[in-house]
Amino acid sequence: MFEDTIAERVRPLAQAFSNGGLARLRVRDGEFEVEFRRAPAPVAAPAAAARPGGEAAAARSIDAILADVVGIVRFLRPAVSEGMALEGDRELAYVETLGIRNAVRSRGPGRVAMIYVTDGQPVEYGQPLFAIER
Amino acid sequence: MFRKVLIANRGEIALRINRACHELGVATVAIFSEADRGSLHVRHADEAFCVGPGPVAASYLNIANILSTALICGADAIHPGYGFLAENARFAEITRDHGLTFIGPSPSVIAAMGDKATARRIMHESGVPTTPGSGILATPEEAAAFAEQIGYPVMLKATAGGGGKGMRAVESAADMVAAFATASAEAAASFRDGRLYAEKLIRSPRHIEVQVLGDEFGDVVHLGERDCSVQKPSHQKLIEEAPAPALDAAVRDRLHEMAVTAARAVKYTNAGTLEFLVDGANVYFMEMNTRIQVEHPVTEMVYGVDLVKEQIRIAAREPLGFTQADLQPHGCAIEVRVNAEDPENNFAPAAGTLGRVEFPGGPGVRVDTHVYAGTVVPPFYDSLLAKIIVTGRSRESAIMRMERALAETHIEGVKTTVEFAREILRDESFQRAGLGVDWLPNYLAQRVPALA
Repeated sequence: MFEDTIAERVRPLAQAFSNGGLARLRVRDGEFEVEFRRAPAPVAAPAAAARPGGEAAAARSIDAILADVVGIVRFLRPAVSEGMALEGDRELAYVETLGIRNAVRSRGPGRVAMIYVTDGQPVEYGQPLFAIER
Repeated sequence: MFRKVLIANRGEIALRINRACHELGVATVAIFSEADRGSLHVRHADEAFCVGPGPVAASYLNIANILSTALICGADAIHPGYGFLAENARFAEITRDHGLTFIGPSPSVIAAMGDKATARRIMHESGVPTTPGSGILATPEEAAAFAEQIGYPVMLKATAGGGGKGMRAVESAADMVAAFATASAEAAASFRDGRLYAEKLIRSPRHIEVQVLGDEFGDVVHLGERDCSVQKPSHQKLIEEAPAPALDAAVRDRLHEMAVTAARAVKYTNAGTLEFLVDGANVYFMEMNTRIQVEHPVTEMVYGVDLVKEQIRIAAREPLGFTQADLQPHGCAIEVRVNAEDPENNFAPAAGTLGRVEFPGGPGVRVDTHVYAGTVVPPFYDSLLAKIIVTGRSRESAIMRMERALAETHIEGVKTTVEFAREILRDESFQRAGLGVDWLPNYLAQRVPALA
């Protein structure tokens, strides 16, 4: 399902994180670093996120946005794309459950590092939808 | 027949339903919580969806996520198993409203049988005896008059009651005044309502239940009875058998007849169980369970009928494939529930990771389980690990076979009920049969001080 190696590495980590009841999980392996946080903390992290790419690699962290309901994921128009910069807390998509729209938000500014799903795809609880680089 | 069934459950019963579906050529969708990701029911199903985190309210009781899964997967029916949403009339109704079939009776029958007072009234009206009870009793004198009429002992109960508060057993007329005063005061203190009623006290009844199946065309059959009298002090069943041993043939026939009469009276469809208290020749309706029961395999083994497949066929509007005369019991079957519990500590539930897991095999042994070596037993769910079911031509041979099967059973990593069940099987009273529901609590009460 995921050809990309980063996606292949993030998904099991995201699942381990959501199963483990952890509040925060950071994994670093060479250049690769990923961080999961359970509670959205939209206000606290602007300094690192605002920095343009290429500067201080150690500051990179990635938030995985997981589905919190079972349903069909629908992208908003215009649809987000990988690499897109996000200003503020933006609604990226919604998950439709029994006709109810459950908003999926970016939980703060950043850059869309990865889109794991396609428009109209069924998703289960805890499934990674987007990775946001802060 | 359905194309695809969503199984709204976990553990051994989810696997059991999955097997029935696959034997009928029906595809399956499993649901699971994050705590059950590695469970066998997830691996056996054709598709599986995570519906929430470990706690049941957020996952196995999450109606929106479960129905959403069913719709996404294109399931045309939902099997609820037992527990969780199995007797939730609202869930059955919402399922129907979304164009899916709920594999069980109609929502109105689930609701009627789920309300004890309504169920008792319906049974009474259709001629099925219920425990004799009074209306509200204003004074000890009224209570004494009722007791004289039905005979001592009686149980005084708080009308607002629950949890044993405001309950007093009254053995004779001499005790009535004092018992009435204390029960009423206790009820007033606990529920702000001191009103009492009385019921005939049945000291040592047997718990005997009758399995019924009804199709959508008005046909109802029974599949005999199960004796579930070996119950823990919490009233949870530990050992069940079919047929009920040492039961008078006339009483047996009456139980079967009453069960069918009652099921017809409520226009019952699908599989159901009527629970009775049996006290000598007296039989009293207790309640009706509108689902498949944990102990259904003992009936299956004796009658050679796959009850879960029948549930699915009935829900798919197929007529029953047999008549009452076709259903003949053969031999005996016994089930032992292997729970992750500590019998030496009031059956306290245990959670943890299973080490070595070995189940029995050989002739006449069936094991319904979802666990294997390495299974994590989460703290969120009931403690049932496995059901070991054996058959025998006679009860004695079935007991011998169960002893052998339990000796082959090894589960390490958590405390289980295996050794305790062996102890019960070897007990002379159990072997003599015909025990009441108070037998195991009394046995435990005598056993614990002996160990201390």
